[in-house]
Amino acid sequence: MSAVIETSRLGKRYRRRWALTDCALSIPAGHVVGLVGPNGAGKTTLLSLAVGLLAPDAGTIEVLGGTPGAGQAQLSRVGFLAQDAPVYPRLSVADHLKLGAHLNPGWDADLARRRVGRLDLDLRQKCGTLSGGQRAQLALTLAIAKRPDLLVLDEPVASLDPLARREFLADLMEAVAEQELSVVLSSHLVADLERVCDYLIVLVGSRVRVAGPVDELLATHHLLSGPRRDPGKLPDGLEVISASHTDVQTTLLVRTGDPVMDPAWTMSQVGLEDLVLAYMSRGAGRRRRDNPRHLEVRK
Amino acid sequence: MIWLTWRQFRVQAITAAAALASFAILLAATGPGLASRYAASGISGCHGFACGSVVNAFLSNLADPYPVVYLLGIGLILVAPAIIGIFWGAPLIARELETRTFTLAWNQTITRTQWLAAKLAMTGLAAVAVTEAISVIYAWWAAPISKAIGLGSTGGLPKLFSQGQFSSVIFATHGIAPLGYAAFAFTLATAAGALTRRTLPAMAITLATFAAAQIAMPLWVRPHLIPPSHTIAAIDAADLAYGNLAADVVPGQPGAWILSSQALDPAGQPVSAVPAACVGSGSSLPDQKGGATAITPAQCMQGRGYREAITYLPTSRYWPLQRIETGVFLALALVLAGSCFWQLRRRRS
Amino acid sequence: MIEFHLDARSGVAPYRQLIHQVRQALRLGLLREGDQLPKVKDVVAGLAINPNTVLKAYRELEYEGLASARPGIGTFVTGTLDGGSLAAHGPLRRDLARWLARARRAGLDDESIEALFASTFRSANEEDIA
Repeated sequence: MSAVIETSRLGKRYRRRWALTDCALSIPAGHVVGLVGPNGAGKTTLLSLAVGLLAPDAGTIEVLGGTPGAGQAQLSRVGFLAQDAPVYPRLSVADHLKLGAHLNPGWDADLARRRVGRLDLDLRQKCGTLSGGQRAQLALTLAIAKRPDLLVLDEPVASLDPLARREFLADLMEAVAEQELSVVLSSHLVADLERVCDYLIVLVGSRVRVAGPVDELLATHHLLSGPRRDPGKLPDGLEVISASHTDVQTTLLVRTGDPVMDPAWTMSQVGLEDLVLAYMSRGAGRRRRDNPRHLEVRK
Repeated sequence: MIWLTWRQFRVQAITAAAALASFAILLAATGPGLASRYAASGISGCHGFACGSVVNAFLSNLADPYPVVYLLGIGLILVAPAIIGIFWGAPLIARELETRTFTLAWNQTITRTQWLAAKLAMTGLAAVAVTEAISVIYAWWAAPISKAIGLGSTGGLPKLFSQGQFSSVIFATHGIAPLGYAAFAFTLATAAGALTRRTLPAMAITLATFAAAQIAMPLWVRPHLIPPSHTIAAIDAADLAYGNLAADVVPGQPGAWILSSQALDPAGQPVSAVPAACVGSGSSLPDQKGGATAITPAQCMQGRGYREAITYLPTSRYWPLQRIETGVFLALALVLAGSCFWQLRRRRS
Repeated sequence: MIEFHLDARSGVAPYRQLIHQVRQALRLGLLREGDQLPKVKDVVAGLAINPNTVLKAYRELEYEGLASARPGIGTFVTGTLDGGSLAAHGPLRRDLARWLARARRAGLDDESIEALFASTFRSANEEDIA
């Protein structure tokens, strides 16, 4: 499968601060990709670069084999849903559908009509009076009905109540199943992503910390707990993501391809949320403390 | 994109149409009255110096509402470009950026260039058309007064109109000049919006800059747009009764625009005051009968060899000047429009 | 047509839960040979999960010989589970009851019995796989 997003040493700067540094990604097609990280980590920047709203300051990015935002062919293949789903407040729902129809040669009017009907949206209602969930659903309709190959969503469910959130994700998954879409969506909550994503990217402090299929990540990360060890005496060949020590016990989250044979360690599975949190604290720790040999953070 | 531009622009278009209609109704109601007064004044049949008194009579006898409507029309044409600019041009790009709807618009299958080109062209053309429409219907209504003023006298109207059709406010509001101002104000506002990314600051910048341009053009630029003509005329071109050494009218060139005039002594040097010998009406010249005739200061200076040097633009240069001024503003508008495209291309944030 | 549900906190992978529910349905007679399994898009629309999860479950069922995919139409049940009636396992049931009595006499409480059973069950499975 060809890569749907391919970046090489991608960087973006706002004045003096680098919002994104040295990103190398190769996201395969046919996945629902979750981009997770704390606020300010660079998620919106990365997604904006992918749809062509921003241009890189360093490195390159290729989406579906083309330059983001360059020309109508590229624009027709990528759909985008920005944070908080902005819509034109004084235009009605029907007007927005007309907007889609007029501005997209590949517009599927039937699909749009069916979705709006199922969502129970009043065609004549001005979009400024829609609820957050309705706005998100309308924006999703607009993005889906132009029949893109890739759908990019920036924190689509962040401000939605649980019911709206569930309905939005369900509709999104249905569209993925029907149209064989690739999706990249960002969130700062892992729980949102766990159900729907099968590929994960963790972005902390403007850098990609880990990226890969969820199955593979869960299979290669383990929680090791055992009697207290000195930091210097940890087993070789293990990449320690995070470590915590009490006076009698050491717990490590490690990344490894092979099972750990040492019987002193008890190995157990890691949940996706714990995995992400470990990478997030590792990334944050690195930024806060310059000493790479600190107890808590070790490579 | 045409549909979307229209849909976003609908309310503003309707407002403009309503305003235009109201103005048209006002003019239609008062126009015939003005025309009949003009017909009754006999100006159309007058010749030469007799016109002066007829025109004066006509203009001074214009009662309300005619002067009010006249000034209202001029005021409207002066501010219309600015108003249209700030309400149509400033939000064009700025509001999309402010409300973040650009994430919706720029991710449809349309490039930023296409998007901006459609919006600029449609809204810009509408802006120019509305301003020109106001100007045209006003010109129709004010034709009687314009003709009267064109004959070189201003009667009871303010000093602001002392230069006839070349007067600063009249020139900018008649002919095709309003086109240029409208295009300039609109593109100025749009470019300001693209620069500041917010509607209100863009409006403020546009108002300030456009007002400055409206003042700067007649004061400092317009006089230099066309090489003027020069002439040396008799000293009585100046209205010396009031001690004023500047010429009021160019002999043989009614309605000309006087750019500067200077009294010259017999040696050709500029003078700024009536020479002592000629001050007051008490100066006299001996006549053939051996007595003295009272002469005006003008005759006195004339006799002594004083002349008036006048720099002016004849009325034949009216339309060339209109075209050049409009051209200047249209060129500025094009540059500003181009800067919008350039800013959008650069702005990737 | 059966309906799937998901227990996000059970610790069991979603696709395994789907497989388990299909097998249960087969056992209980809710699904018979020739019945169509729910369409992928309907499952994901109801559960808000990744379509690949459903595809993985259906593929595994196919591998186990319980289902077969017909491209463009859907996935259909092709096998049955030899569940039999639990009554047919009388001897097993009696052995189990005897073992439970022994465990109680040894002093194990409910939780310990379940833990003992679970870990032995798991390690027995792993030995089978290995």
